[in-house]
Amino acid sequence: MDFTSIVKQPVEIDLTPLVDCVFLLMIFFVLVIDLSQKNLEDLVLPQAVFQQPDNQPPPDRPVLNVLQNGTVVYNQFVAHDPAVDGKDYRRVKDLLVGIRQAGLAAQKLHLTEEAIGGHAVMADPILIRADKWTEWHHIAEVMKLCSLPEIAFKRVELAMSAVDKEKADREPAQGTKRSGR
Amino acid sequence: MNVLDELKEGVKPDLTPMIDVVFLMIIFFICIDFRVLESKLPAYLPLDRAGGHAASQPQEQLSVKIHVAAEGVKNFPDGVAPGAVHAPSKRPYRFVLDGHSIRWEVGPKRFDTIDDVKNELRRIAQDPASLVPDRATGTRKLLACVLEAYPGTYYGDVALTADACHEAGFEQIHFGGGFGAGK
Repeated sequence: MDFTSIVKQPVEIDLTPLVDCVFLLMIFFVLVIDLSQKNLEDLVLPQAVFQQPDNQPPPDRPVLNVLQNGTVVYNQFVAHDPAVDGKDYRRVKDLLVGIRQAGLAAQKLHLTEEAIGGHAVMADPILIRADKWTEWHHIAEVMKLCSLPEIAFKRVELAMSAVDKEKADREPAQGTKRSGR
Repeated sequence: MNVLDELKEGVKPDLTPMIDVVFLMIIFFICIDFRVLESKLPAYLPLDRAGGHAASQPQEQLSVKIHVAAEGVKNFPDGVAPGAVHAPSKRPYRFVLDGHSIRWEVGPKRFDTIDDVKNELRRIAQDPASLVPDRATGTRKLLACVLEAYPGTYYGDVALTADACHEAGFEQIHFGGGFGAGK
């Protein structure tokens, strides 16, 4: 076998499979991140400029979604439907008690030393996400439940958006220039 | 194969990898568009003492009341009736409220625009009389804001006001009210 002829051949690296793999990996990570956000309903949050960015949320933080009509959704489970439950929020109360108990049992949620009505106050926050056009009294009802002694989520975080998605969606339709972040 | 045959075949670029990459890029950008930057307003709820008799000291707070000036009109997507459900997501269709406006009461003063509210909040925040004793540290701190949203107000109204409070320098924001539904 003549090895000199092989050495003389120019080496050509085919980058196509590498590019394919890189893009597949990117898609994989985007989808994984999206799946981890399954507890986030498709809502248009109100814009806030001077709030804290929610860059590194606690992984086990409970998230309650309040839709425009007052429907309360937790992990895609409808805990309160105003058309069915009216002003009866007992199912949301039971859900919050369940979240507290399950979180404590699994050691995903923690307590403070402060106690109220014979129950310890939660150290971890709860996030309430509501649509920009959700009537405030629906959110106030959920907040009221969070402050009950048997639930005692003292730290409540209200989700807001760094961008006004509604405005951004409307602007291109009106032929105006879309503003950057 | 001789040279003549090769010339007859011509150059045939293989487009398959390029099409692969283009489709992958389309999928990538479709997926990434759904992600929205989120921020949060941390709040500490006054816990329900369940009829306890624990004495609490009154604290000086700034009351910011939010009232409805114009209710606005709910606009659903074309051809969608109010209350209709989007079949794939099993969630009601989203509406946009047009013509909705609010007015504010900051302490005893009334305001019709958010800019006026911001100016008033800044003035109060810079006033030395707005500093109250901080029991935790023994120093003085800016008094807390209590947002009281009246019936017919929306989360967006409260968020707008809370943002103005933060901009002015108020760090402690409480939520009062709970006055029930609008009309």
